[in-house]
Formats: sequence, structure tokens, C-alpha cells
Amino acid sequence: MSSDVRFTDFKSDKQPTWCPGCGDFGTMNGMMKALAETGNDPDNTFVVAGIGCSGKIGTYMHSYALHGVHGRALPLATGVKMARPDIEVMAAGGDGDGYSIGAGHFVHAVRRNVDMSYVVMDNRIYGLTKGQASPTSRSDFETSTTPEGPKQPPVNPLALALASGASFIAQSFASDALRHQEIVKEAIEHDGFGFVNVFSPCVTFNDVDTYDYFRDNLVDLQEEEDHDPTDYESAKEVILDSDKEYQGVMYQDENSVPYHEQHGVTENMSDIPDGAPDDAMDLVREFY
Amino acid sequence: MAEDLNWAVGGEAGDGIDSTGKIFAQALSRAGRHVFTSKDFASRIRGGYTAYKIRTSVDDIQSVVDRLDILVALTQRTIDENLDELHEGSAVIYDGERSWEAEIPDDITAVDVPLKSLAEDAGGAIMRNIVALGAACEITGFDVEYLDEALEKRFGGKGSKIVENNKEAARLGQEYVQENYDLDHLGYNLETTDNDYVLLNGNEAIGMGAIAAGCRFYAGYPITPATSIMEYLTERIEDYGGHVVQAEDELSAINMALGGARAGARAMTATSGAGIDLMTETFGLVATSETPLVITDVQRSGPSTGMPTKQEQGDLNMALYGGHGEVPRFVIAPTTITECFWKTIEAFNIAEKYQTPVFLVSDLAMSVTEQTFPPEAFDMDEVEIDRGKLVDEDEVDEWLDAQGRFRAHAATEDGVSPRAIPGTTDAAHMTTGLEHDELGRRTEEEDERVQQVDKRNRKVETAKNEEDWDYREFGDADADNLIISWGSNEGALVEALGYLEEDGIDVRVISVPYIFPRPDLTEEIEAADEAIVVECNANGQFADVIEHDVLTRVKRINKYTGVRFKADELAEEITNKIAEEVPAQ
Repeated sequence: MSSDVRFTDFKSDKQPTWCPGCGDFGTMNGMMKALAETGNDPDNTFVVAGIGCSGKIGTYMHSYALHGVHGRALPLATGVKMARPDIEVMAAGGDGDGYSIGAGHFVHAVRRNVDMSYVVMDNRIYGLTKGQASPTSRSDFETSTTPEGPKQPPVNPLALALASGASFIAQSFASDALRHQEIVKEAIEHDGFGFVNVFSPCVTFNDVDTYDYFRDNLVDLQEEEDHDPTDYESAKEVILDSDKEYQGVMYQDENSVPYHEQHGVTENMSDIPDGAPDDAMDLVREFY
Repeated sequence: MAEDLNWAVGGEAGDGIDSTGKIFAQALSRAGRHVFTSKDFASRIRGGYTAYKIRTSVDDIQSVVDRLDILVALTQRTIDENLDELHEGSAVIYDGERSWEAEIPDDITAVDVPLKSLAEDAGGAIMRNIVALGAACEITGFDVEYLDEALEKRFGGKGSKIVENNKEAARLGQEYVQENYDLDHLGYNLETTDNDYVLLNGNEAIGMGAIAAGCRFYAGYPITPATSIMEYLTERIEDYGGHVVQAEDELSAINMALGGARAGARAMTATSGAGIDLMTETFGLVATSETPLVITDVQRSGPSTGMPTKQEQGDLNMALYGGHGEVPRFVIAPTTITECFWKTIEAFNIAEKYQTPVFLVSDLAMSVTEQTFPPEAFDMDEVEIDRGKLVDEDEVDEWLDAQGRFRAHAATEDGVSPRAIPGTTDAAHMTTGLEHDELGRRTEEEDERVQQVDKRNRKVETAKNEEDWDYREFGDADADNLIISWGSNEGALVEALGYLEEDGIDVRVISVPYIFPRPDLTEEIEAADEAIVVECNANGQFADVIEHDVLTRVKRINKYTGVRFKADELAEEITNKIAEEVPAQ
């Protein structure tokens, strides 16, 4: 790994096709900077992307990457990390990918606590399919498939993570580049599953959860003296506070033990002998 | 025909039927006798009828038959369920002190042994089945010391006291029969040999093959009858630096395995029934990302939840055609338990050589059947590993484009692209389930689309030419009657040959382990007067495929009761089918 890795090394030569002004630009820049700052380089980094606008990130970044099936980014990333504990693994996707079709995996990836980061570009809308309600859309948000609004409360992904036994829960805003980058960096450095929900506004289909809305309403936990991310109760308070939008690290379990340490998974599993293992006949003799 | 003994223990689920049967099978194996077992069981933890059946002989045996000689019956239902198979030379061991009054036909020898009381004398009622095994040893003239060895293996981990109590229980059962019955007229006297055998089932063979082949990552979700592959690997794979993870569902399991494979590990998942339906979602991604992955389907009765503990070969079409779009793949169906081992190894090699999903299609019958083999049948020195076009850092250069980008999906002549795993310097690249260019980046350009579809299909053509896709053959190669089978029916067919020969019917058996690509059987079918395809499903999925290949009609023997073919039954079916005038449709 070279020491002079720049964040632009993580950038591919493919021009993003996101709409001008899309929050995903800022989200991706922060991810690339955080990866470079944590001493990673493209050859030892694996990015797994979901489906949706956010899923295109694997194309615009440069690293080992797999753009998978809708909703399955976390299982894919889990497999990569288990086979290769030596590789930095980052999963990225959108709110539909992570909290709707992939919600079942989210719960279990969180509690499995594999040492990886998960960045969700939450724009509270389905963008790539041109503007349908997402699991984080407001209950009165009118869309082509929900003309009167979904009439159901949005999923609180942070609360879902907390209830699932998360060891790191954070939220950031794509437009607050420096803070976003710092928060993603903390997620990467966390020993375990580093989850960041990123407010990544959709300028084309969501006229409610806009840049202006977040600028006006965002509270940075860094400036809240009462908030202690290592304190579960303190985390619970901000996560369940539906009156405000927060950014910062809500919760971090200081005693987090990642999956590979719990299970003693340390080997690079790609290294195997040219034939059966030396003592493989023992496997046969077991059946005498 | 081998002189065989057919033995069974039956009762309710929860009665320890399985472990009792396994102990007796182990004892017979230790005595140098061949063993072939089968199970009647239901998908429940307690209650219902369950039985463990053993066919044993000093000769090699590969099937069950419709005959039962010794039955240990813990319930009346066990007797009722097996009445058709009992005969005048049969003996039924039961406990007359128990609350049920055994109704046993007069022509069958009833051996009333106070199993529970004698077990209590030995140290606990829990050992009543072991008392029955001791009784069975006496009736069959089988040296109880072999049973001792099996008890040591089974209970050794629980301390010498437990082992000694169990041996005592066996002795009490044996002595009770010796003192109270004269059963010499039954004429059972089990020979022993000096041969060493190992005793294992198809799922264990798949698990063992996976470790031998270098599989280090397994992700799965429990489902009957595939779970025992996961359990086998869980207990052992960490000794080899690997890991098994229990996923939250099959959608996740196959994606985890795919992630592991993408990262460079030899990875596998296994499932059955509805599990393979869920995994279908990801078949296409495995194929288009060109990731080597072994997907095992241990077939059970469908559709839907079907009969989860019953046999069927109903997933052939799913394995061949499952998934939207056109998904290149290989489909391999081992035909015996040893082949479960060897074909698993082959599946990993083919997956990596051609960077394509390989479906390893087994079935319930094979997964639960315990069978004896000489240990050389699993000679680990014979295991070869071929990792295909895995490139190291020195080879990366030749696969970079003018801008220095790694061509992970390079459209090569043989269709196989170089494969660089994470950590390989200067080879970082993406891939996607979207159609992509040589660099793995999304494209909808017509030329690139055609290039990538063609190169993926070209891999299959290359494999067709470079690998052996042979069938296995038994019986008389010049016979007029040709029987074609796939999967686990081979053993019963091979034994059926003996019965047919006695009746003067010559048969050639072709057992096909390769479903795709598969051998072309045109010449073989044209050379025969009768061609009959045998399979455990109702619609004849393999027969359809063969008819399509050869453009001719074949006759069909289909069984979909949920029970595997038996040798004697199959001989009769074949005889009848040959006599049939018109091919059945």
C-alpha cells in the first residue's frame, strides 16, 4: 500500500450521470476522501453497490467493486470481508435498496457486526425509477404511486439499527462536505459495522427534503454538549427524536468486537493448496 | 445376487431411531460388511413414524429392496408400515412389557424382549434401543464385539461409564434372546471380513469434497435435506482456515457466497426446495459477473413446501433454465455417494476454469443414505486443483488496456477472461449485473452487448470441447434395451440388472452425471430397440431433454411417491415397460 494515495485515485474516468446537483456527488467525494485518509488504496479496497441511482457509485469510483442485485449489497459485502479480512470493504446503496428490499439484510448485517462500513444515500425517494415513494418518504409525500402520500410512517433507519444491536450509528449531510467526510472516516475506522445514513437530496423528484430543508433544520451533534455517543441512552434520545434532523455520530459501542474476532476468521481464504490439504485423509478416516 | 440381510429399527421421531440405526450400521461396517441405509422420516421432531433401514452384505450393494428380515419395532405403526416387506423368515423384536400389544402376523417370528426393564438393569431406560441391538446381534449371529466398537465410537466422548453401560445393555439384550428363544431355524448368520470400510452419506461426501477442493467459505440457510452439508462444514472447515456463516435467508446466503468467491475464495452454498427459488434471483449476477460459484441443490419433493423429507428429482428444469434472461451455467448431478465427493471437486475446478456458476444437483435419497466404501474411494492424493486464469501481479500488465485499466471481461478467444482478485496491484476493477464492457462497466452499446453475450457462451463451448462429459455405463453394451438415468437412481439400476439377467433380459444402463453440457446419446438410442428414461419425478424432465437432443420418443419410468427406486421394483417396472407397445407420452 503506498503512502501517497490521493482521494482522486479512487475516482474512475467515467463521468457520473447523476442529475446536476444530486447529493450523491458530495456523498461519493466524502467516501473517496475518507478511504484515502484511512490509508487505503484502490487495490486493497472493495466497494459493493446496490441498485438505484446510488448503486452507480461502483462505476464512478475506482477500486475492486461489485454492483449487485437490488437489496443484496450487504450480503455481498459480508461475503467479501469474510473471505478477505485483509481487504477494506465498503457497501453503498440507497434508502430503497437498504431499508425496503434489503431491510431484512440490514437488520442482520447490523447485528452480525462485520468490520466494514455501510453508506446509505438517503434521498427519501426512488429516483432512478422516476419518483416513487421510498421507505423513508414522509407519510404525506405525494408521488406517482402514492398520489395522496404513503400514509404510513417512514422507517427510522437509525432506530432500526439501534434495535438490531448496532455498534456504530451515524448520520451526515452530503452538502456538509467536511463533516460528512469525517463521519464516514469514523465509520471506516470503527471496529465493526460502521453505518452512516447520509442525507443526499434528490433535486429532481423530491421537493420537500431539499438542500435548503436540511440546511435549515440540521443539528450537528458535535455541537450538542449533552450528547455522548458512547452512552446508549443518549443515543436513543437523539435517534428517537422525530422533531429534529441530526448529523454526527449518534452511537458508538466502545466495546464492539467485530465478527471476525468473535469467530476467529483471520485467514485470506483465497490461498489454498494445489491439491487436497496435507492431512485430508483424516477426513476420510473419521468415517471408519 | 448378494446374500443380504435387511434390518430396520422404527418408532416415533424422538425415539432415537436415527442414532440407533447408525450405531448398528457402524457395527456392520466395522465387521467388514457392506451397508446401504435408507430412512423413512417425517418433518417433525417428535411423534409420527420414522425408521432407519439397513441392507447389509459382504458383497457391494447399492440399493434398497422390498424385503425386511429383522425389524426392531418400538411402535405398532412400525409393524403396520412394514407388513408388506416382512416375510415368513422375518423376526420382529418388540417390548411386550410396554403399553401397546403388538399385533404380529402368525407367520412372522415375534421376539418379545423387555427392552426397557433390561435397559434399566444396565443403568437407564434410555438404552432400550441398545438392548434391542444386542438382541438383533443374537438373532443374526453377529458378534456383539463389533457393536461394542460402534458404541465406543458413538459414546466415547461421553465417558467410559456411559460406554460400559451401553455395552452392558447390549449384552443383556443378547443374553435374553439366547436364553429365551431358539431361532436357529431363521438361519441368519452374518459373516464378517477383514475389509476396512468408511460409512458416510452423500451430504458428508459433498462437504468432504468441498474441503478437499479448497472450499473455504460457505454461506447457507438451514433447510432439509441440505442442512447436513452446512453442519459437516461448520464442524471442520475452520481447521483449514475457512468459515461457515448462517445467513438470514437464501437470498443472503447465495450473495454472501458470491461475495466470498469474488474476493477469491472457493465458495459454496447449498439449499433445497424453496431455497433454490430464492437463490434464482442471483443466478444471473453470478453468471454475468463471471464469478466461480458452486451452488448445491439437494432436491426434495416439491412444488412449494411439498414433502420436505421425501425424495424427488424435480429440479432439473430449474437447474437448467432457472433465472430470467439467458444464464450460462454448468449442471452436474452426482450419481453415487463417492461421486458426490468427486463431482464436488470437479464442480469447483470447472467453476474457476470457466468463471461460471456450477449447479451441483444431488437429492434427498443420496443425502440421507449411509453407505460403506473402501477408504481408497476417497483418495485425497488424486485430488487436483485447477484455478483457471487467476492472474498474479506479474501477469496483470498483459491484460491492461491502453489507459492501464484491467480488462476483467476481456473477450478472449476461448471466452475465458483473466481473473484478478482484490489485493492484486493495478488490477482494481468493477463488475456488475448490468451488461458491461470488457472493463466491467455498464454498457448498452449493441456491439459490446453482443461481444459479452458471445464470450460468455463461448466459455461453455470451450468447456464442451475441453472437458469430459461422459456417461457411466453398466450391463451389456450390446443389449437391445437401453435404460437412461440421471442422479441417484444408478445404484438401484445396477442391482436391477442382476434381477433382469435372471429373467433373461439384457439391458444396457447409461447413468448420466452431466446434465449440462451432457453427452449426446443419439447413437446409443438409435442402436437400441427400446430406450427408457428412469427418473424420480412425474413429468420426465430428463426424458424431455433427451427427446429434444435426439429428436425421437423415449419410454419413461417415473416415480413420484417420495420414495427412491428400489432394485427389485425397478427390475419389474423395466420388464413391464419393455413389453409396452407404444411409447408412453
